[in-house]
Amino acid sequence: MAEDVLTAPREDALLRHYVTDAAGGDLMLEAASDMAPHWRDMLSGLAAAGTDDFAPLQDRVARQVQDLGMAFRLAGEDDERSWPLSPIPLLIGSGEWATIEQAMAQRADLLEQVIGDVYGPQNLIRSGAIPAPVITGSTHFWQQMVGVTPPQGRHLHFYAADLARGPDGEWRVLSDLCRTPTGAGYALENRLALSRATGDLLSRLNVRRLAPFFSAFRQGLAAVCERTDPRIALLTPGRFTQSYAEQAHLARYLGFLLVEGDDLTVRGDRLYVRTIEGIKRIDAIWRRMDTSLLDPLEFDARTRIGVPDLFQAISNGGLAVANWPGSGIIESRAFAAFLPKLAKEVLGEDLLLPNIATWWCGQPAERAKVLANIDNMAVGSAFGEAVPGLDDGRSHIGATLSADRRALLMDAMERRPMDYVGQELVRGSTTPAVLNGRMVARPFTLRVFVTRDSNGAWRTMPGGFARLAAHGDIRAVLMGEGDMSADVCIVGSSTQTPVSLLDTSPSPPIRRIAGTLPSRAADNLFWLARYLERGENTLRIVRALLGGSIEADGGAALDQGTMGRMTAMLVSAGAARQIDLAGSVTALARAAIGSSEDFGSVHSLIGSARTIGQGMRDRLAVDFWRLLAKPLAKLEQQAAEPMLGRLADLLDRFSALSGLAAENMGRSHGWRFHDLGRRIERAVTICRLLRTFARDDASADDLNVLLDLCDCQIMYRMRYLSGISLYPARDMLALEVQNPRSLAFQMDLIVEHLAALPSLRDDGMPEPPMKIATSLSALLAAASAETLGNEALEDIENHLLALSDAVGARFFLRGKEAERAAGVTRLA
Amino acid sequence: MIYRVNHVSRIHYDATIGNARFNVRLQPSDWPGQSVEGFGLTVSPSTRNLTTRAGPFPVNVTRVVIDEPLDALEIRSQFIANVSDERPAILPSDPTIATVAQAAIAFSSLAETAPAHFLFPSPRVPALPDIATWAAAYLTPHRPVLEAGFALCCAITDGFRYDSAATDADTPVTQAFAIRRGVCQDFAHILIGALRSVGLPAGYVSGYLRTLPPPGQPRLEGVDAMHAWVMLWCGPERGWIGLDPTNRCITGPDHIFVALGRDYSDVAPIDGVFMGKTAQHLDTSVDVAPYAEWAAESAN
Repeated sequence: MAEDVLTAPREDALLRHYVTDAAGGDLMLEAASDMAPHWRDMLSGLAAAGTDDFAPLQDRVARQVQDLGMAFRLAGEDDERSWPLSPIPLLIGSGEWATIEQAMAQRADLLEQVIGDVYGPQNLIRSGAIPAPVITGSTHFWQQMVGVTPPQGRHLHFYAADLARGPDGEWRVLSDLCRTPTGAGYALENRLALSRATGDLLSRLNVRRLAPFFSAFRQGLAAVCERTDPRIALLTPGRFTQSYAEQAHLARYLGFLLVEGDDLTVRGDRLYVRTIEGIKRIDAIWRRMDTSLLDPLEFDARTRIGVPDLFQAISNGGLAVANWPGSGIIESRAFAAFLPKLAKEVLGEDLLLPNIATWWCGQPAERAKVLANIDNMAVGSAFGEAVPGLDDGRSHIGATLSADRRALLMDAMERRPMDYVGQELVRGSTTPAVLNGRMVARPFTLRVFVTRDSNGAWRTMPGGFARLAAHGDIRAVLMGEGDMSADVCIVGSSTQTPVSLLDTSPSPPIRRIAGTLPSRAADNLFWLARYLERGENTLRIVRALLGGSIEADGGAALDQGTMGRMTAMLVSAGAARQIDLAGSVTALARAAIGSSEDFGSVHSLIGSARTIGQGMRDRLAVDFWRLLAKPLAKLEQQAAEPMLGRLADLLDRFSALSGLAAENMGRSHGWRFHDLGRRIERAVTICRLLRTFARDDASADDLNVLLDLCDCQIMYRMRYLSGISLYPARDMLALEVQNPRSLAFQMDLIVEHLAALPSLRDDGMPEPPMKIATSLSALLAAASAETLGNEALEDIENHLLALSDAVGARFFLRGKEAERAAGVTRLA
Repeated sequence: MIYRVNHVSRIHYDATIGNARFNVRLQPSDWPGQSVEGFGLTVSPSTRNLTTRAGPFPVNVTRVVIDEPLDALEIRSQFIANVSDERPAILPSDPTIATVAQAAIAFSSLAETAPAHFLFPSPRVPALPDIATWAAAYLTPHRPVLEAGFALCCAITDGFRYDSAATDADTPVTQAFAIRRGVCQDFAHILIGALRSVGLPAGYVSGYLRTLPPPGQPRLEGVDAMHAWVMLWCGPERGWIGLDPTNRCITGPDHIFVALGRDYSDVAPIDGVFMGKTAQHLDTSVDVAPYAEWAAESAN
C-alpha cells in the first residue's frame, strides 16, 4: 500500500527533516510499494552511515564534477560555472517508465507526421486542423523549407520533452523541444559523476544504462546518410554558447567532428569541412544552432556564424540534418494546444501522456474562455516572444497581476489574440535534493530524450535530465540562477531479472586515430603550444632574473650587463615595459608574470592559451583543460625568495602541461601540429637566447644564465670540467643533435613532423614549409660553433618565422577573412 | 499603362573581394493586374553562374556567383511591364478591421500570398509598442479596413519628412519613427508595424514608379531608385491592396510591382556574401518610361 510506504519511512532517521509541500505531491514519499525499497536502499547507501547527513556525498559528487570538467554558462556571463549537481537521483520504476517511453514514441511519431505535412502536402492546414497562423507565428517556421524533404522523410532525429509530475502521480508534457534540445550531454555527465562518487551503488540498484541511447542516435543518423561510413559533424554556434561544454562533450562521446561555420564550405551542393588534407565531405550535421543562423544567403542575411549555401546542400546535396530546419514549429505553446486533436486526426488515438491543457486565443471561443478565467490560468506568449502585457515573454497568472497590468494584458489580447495562450495551472511534485548536506524537497521537471535508431524506430533515453528549481517556476530556461540538476535512474522492480550491464548492440567498427583534422583545430593546437612554450620561457627568464638579484654568501649577484640583457629580453617579448625597469626587480617580475596589460606576460599568454583551448575542448584531455583553466594565483608584494617558490609552482604547471601533451596525446596529426608549434617556438627562443647571451664577447655570467635558461647547466658541467666558455656552450645549445634543448634537435623534429603530415601535391615535390625546414636543417648541419655568430643566428630566426607563416598558409584558415554578408542596396 | 524599365546598379569596392555570391531580387514576380515581358538581367563581370528561382514569398531570387576577384560589379535589369489602369477605391461595403483581422486568422492556407505570413513581427519590423500606440487612434476595430489603412498612410505622408540623409538601409524602424524622418523603406516599415499591431496582415513591396509624371502632375518621390510601399490584406474578397505612405496614395497605374515580402529583408534588391573586408559604394540609375514615349525616343 502506498500509505504504508509514505508513513513508514517517516520514522526513519533519514527522513526526519524532509518536509514537502503536500499540494504538488512528492516523487519519493509517494513512491509505489515496489519502488519504496529502492529509494530506501539508495538513500541509506548515499547518506553517511546511519545518519541523514549527506554532506560527505555532496563533497564527493562536487569533486567528481570538477574532475570531469563539467561546466555551464548563464546567459550573458563570460565565465563558465561549475555544474550544480544534486547527489540524489530521481528513481523511477521500469514499469512506470515503460508508459512514459510508449507515450514519448507516440508523441514523436505524431510530431514527425505533422511536420512532414506542414512542409509537404499541407492537408492539416487546408482542413483547418491547424490554423495557418499557429505555424507562421513561430519564428522557427521557414517558408523556403516547404517542399524540401529530408533523407528518408525523417525530420526528427533527436527530440525532447519536459515533463512534470502532478499531485495525482500523473505525468504531463509541459513543452516539446527539437531545435537544440540541450541536456542530453549533461544527463550523461550527471550519470558519470554520480556513479564515480557512489561506487557500485547504481549497479546494485540495476540502473539502466544510457550508452545504448547515444549509439542508437549515431546509428540512426548514419542510416540516412548516402555513404556507409559517413562523416558526421556537430555544428556549434561557438564557445560562447551557454551549453558549449556540453556540445564538446557530446561531440567527443559520439565521435562527431565539432565544427563551427567557418570550418565548413559548400561546393556544388555538397558540404565539406576544411581540413589539413584539403576539403572532406560531411554527410550529416547535428546542428546546435537555429535555422536562422545556418545560411546567410537563404535564411537571415545578418548571420555571421553560418555557412553560405548550406541550404543548397540541404535541399539538393543529400545532407542529413538533425533536426531538419523548420522543425522548430512544434515548440510553440500555440502548437501544443492542437496536439490532442491532432493525435485523434492523424493517429486516430488519444495522447498517452496528456499535454498541459492549452487554449490558443486566436480562436474566438478559446479566447472567450481564457478571458473569462484569466485569474485561474497562466496566460503565456503563444510563440515565446515578448508581447504586450507579457514583456518578459514569460507566463503570468491573471490574479497575480496588478489591476493596471491585468487590464493592459486583456486589452492587448483583444488586439492581437493570436499572440496569446491560456494554460491550466500545474502544481509540480517535489523530489529530494541536497542543500548544505541536508535533504530538502524541490519542485522538478524531467527532460526526456527520444531518438531514432537505424531502423527509424523511436528509442527513449532510459533516464534524463532533471532540473530542480530554486523557485516555484519550473518552466524557465534549462538552468537558471540557483537551480540544480539531478540524475534520473530507471530501476527494475525486484521481481525482474537483472538488466544486463553489457551493451548488447553490435560492436562498432574499431577505429584508431581519428582521421579528419579540421584546419581550425590544427591552427588552435599549433598556437596553443606556441603560447605555452612562450609562457614557460618568460617564466624561466623571470626566475633567472630574480635568482640573479640575490646575493649569495655575501658575494656579488649577477653583473649588471647580464641583468640588463635579461630585462631587455622581457621587454622585447612584450612581458614588461621600459618603465618597469626603473623599479625593483621584484616589481618587474610581478609585472612580467601577472600583468594583464602586457601581451607577453605569463598571465596574458596563459589567457591566450586558455581562449584557444576553450574553442577546442573536444580535443583536449580533461586533465589538460583543468590545468590550463586553473586561475593564476596572485603574486603579492613579496621578497625575491618567496616569489621564487611561487615561480617554481607555476613552472611545474607548464611542465605538467607539456608532459601531458607528450605522454597522453595520441600521435595524430593534431599532436604533430601541437608539437610543431612547440618546436618552432622553442627554436626561435633558442636563437634569441644565443644572440643575447652567446655573442662573441659574452661574459661568464651571460653564459651561465644561458645554460640556466636552457636547463643545460648540469649537462655542461658534467662534460666540461674546466669551467664555462663560449664555443662549447654554443655548440651544445645550437648544434648538438642529442641535446633536447638544442636548436638542431628542434629542427630534426620539425622536419620529422612535416614529413609525416599530408601533402596536397600529387607530384611528390615538397610543399613550402618542408622546403624551408630542409634548407634550415642543411644550414645547421654545415655550421660550426665558430661561425654561428649573431648574423647567422638572425638569418636562422627569420627562416623560422617564415616557416611558421608557411605552415599557417598551407594548413590553416588564416590569411582568409571570414565571409561577410553585405546588404548593398536600399529602396528610396 | 505599359512601361519600359531600365535599372542599373554599380557597386564598387575599395579593396578586392573574392568568392562573391549575391542574391539579386529584380525580376518582377507574378502579380494580379500586371504582366511582364522581355525581362533581361546582365551582370558584369559576366558569369555563366546565374540561376533564378521563385520564393519564399512572391519574390524571384537570382543567385549570382562570381569566383574571380572583384573590385566592381554592374547589374543591369530591363523589362516591359503592363500595369492595369485601375486604382482600387475605398468602398462603403469594405469589411471592418475586426472582421478582416478575424478572417486573416481563419484563412487556412500557407500559400506564398496567404495572410498568415504577414501577420507577425518580422526581422526588420519587430513588435513596436510606440508605433502601436500612435496608430491606435486610426485603427479602431469597427472602421472599414481600407479607409482606416489609407488614413494611416496619409498620416505618415503628412506627419513625416522625406529625408534621405536622415536614415540609411540599416536604420532600425524605431529610430526613423522617433525622428519622424526617412525614406520609403522607413515609411513602409512603420506602416506595416502599425497595421500588424491590430492584427491586420501587411507586407512590404519593392518596385518602381514612373520617372516623369504625366503632364500637369507633380513628380513623385522615390523615382530615381527602386521604390517601396505596403500591401494591406483587406479580407478574402478584396485581397491585397497597395498603400504608398511616401506618396499619400492607394497604388495604381504608376506603381510597378517587383516583389512582396514580410519586410525589406525578404525583398532586398541585392545582398550577399563575399570574402574580404571593405567599404562598398553603390550608384544606381533607374529609368521608368511609358513604353510609347520610350519607343518614340528610340526611333529618333
